[in-house]
Amino acid sequence: MPDHTPSRPLAGAPDSEAPSSTRALRLGVCGPVGTGKSSLIALLCRELAGELQLGVITNDIYTDEDARFLRSAGVLDPARIRAVETGACPHTAIRDDITANLIAAEELEADFTNAGGTGLDLVLIESGGDNLTATFSPALVDVQVFVLDVAGGGDVARKGGPGIERADLLVVNKTDLAVHVGVDATLMVAEAGAARDGRPVLGLTRTDQASVARLCAWVRAQLASHRIGALVPQDPGPMAPHFHADAANGLTGGWHVHDHAHA
Amino acid sequence: MTDSRRTIHRDLVLMLLADARLPVAGHTQSATLEPALRAGLGPADVPGFVATRLRTVTRVEAATAVVALHHLRRGLDLSAVEAAWSARTTSPAMRATSRSQARALLRLVSRLWPGTEALRAVSSSTTPCRAVVLAATAASLDLEATALARLIGYDDVQTVCSAALKLLPLDPADVTGWVASALPAVDALADEVAHLTRPDDVPASGAPQIEAWAQAHVHTTRRLFSA
Ligand SMILES: Nc1nc2c(ncn2[C@@H]2O[C@H](COP(=O)(O)OP(=O)(O)OP(=O)(O)O)[C@@H](O)[C@H]2O)c(=O)[nH]1
Ligand SMILES: [Mg+2]
Repeated sequence: MPDHTPSRPLAGAPDSEAPSSTRALRLGVCGPVGTGKSSLIALLCRELAGELQLGVITNDIYTDEDARFLRSAGVLDPARIRAVETGACPHTAIRDDITANLIAAEELEADFTNAGGTGLDLVLIESGGDNLTATFSPALVDVQVFVLDVAGGGDVARKGGPGIERADLLVVNKTDLAVHVGVDATLMVAEAGAARDGRPVLGLTRTDQASVARLCAWVRAQLASHRIGALVPQDPGPMAPHFHADAANGLTGGWHVHDHAHA
Repeated sequence: MTDSRRTIHRDLVLMLLADARLPVAGHTQSATLEPALRAGLGPADVPGFVATRLRTVTRVEAATAVVALHHLRRGLDLSAVEAAWSARTTSPAMRATSRSQARALLRLVSRLWPGTEALRAVSSSTTPCRAVVLAATAASLDLEATALARLIGYDDVQTVCSAALKLLPLDPADVTGWVASALPAVDALADEVAHLTRPDDVPASGAPQIEAWAQAHVHTTRRLFSA
């Protein structure tokens, strides 16, 4: 008899996390460097802070750049803005190992519930500016926005990639700059729509109130859907979209441990 | 006992836990290397830094884990172990780092192996340190004390060295050479602490300079690593 001890059941209950409809909606904002992720978050804070309890988590290359930008923008109580260090791996922190972000989101949510508050409605998570392939794990965010800008070139949307093609919303930002960079913003939005199989695309300029209103309306609709439990996080990829491993509910099967060679 | 489940070798469990791909936010950690470099250490100092950690702070961590494992296996209360670790880890920043790493680990292992007695025991403490949660993981997976201590030593070496690759202009093969060169010290550390059983046995081998760096790191505004 090898000196292993009796095995334990390995399958078990899923995460004790609250069902998605009772905790804050987690909205991810990703996209290449400088496309306007922080600005979009600042915009949402400015527009929605009056009606919703908000929190923000930033993932930076150099830690708290984005958090400091947002705090200094004065659109949200600085205590509601947290920075997560990514060890120079911003892609990992939103996808392969989401632990630091999950813990930050839970702490933020808990802090504003425990403090006698009513809890947060919406947590915005900004990814560190990364390349076109970075998207959020659906285990971290309920819904995600991919941000491009017209200054990055009119072809970017057509080139595609998981975020561009399958994020819940694609924002083509800084449409005000289109004339200066020789890009046809309307065409860029149309081509993005084609690459996305009908998923929503929004041309945005922070000073264009109509586009800002459309963004806010989309966010409110996501929150409403989340609250009735109808929002199912979608994975933009790069893998095939809807794979759910059994491991989500504990391991299947099980094993004993021993330290002898097999006979 | 009729059981269709497969018997697997302990080494595989250890590999799983030592793998950098384990989602416990390991990529956010530099084991104080980042502030040490900021304070003036250079590439050539990294192997010495690794060795110093193994003799000091990592020794506290490994010894704490081994003592915690002993307590868990006998159903003894862990508060004295936790207190011994706390008293020997004087930097509040290092304690906070350990506790947040513990939380990350506990989150994962409770999901994979729910309902083990050891994990229940550490979950009842509000903020266990990482050594104690690693001990509970070892207890849940039938790892021996020596293996647990080796895991802690090895992980510390790899954490420093992989952070070094992000922070310094180094050849990854050279850095892997540093890891390999540190293995005898990891082995020795494990042998030295594996038999410990009492909270008082945990050596007070902190490193004031490393602790000071850990403290300084909290107040920097441009950093890649959480600690
Ligand atoms: N013209 C114009 N500029 C904008 C708009 N939105 C953002 N910007 C500018 O674009 C630049 C980058 O914006 P950020 O919000 O910092 O971009 P980011 O994606 O958060 O950048 P990283 O976090 O560094 O990846 C800043 O100079 C913004 O002022 C817009 O609608 N129009
Ligand atoms: Mg930003």
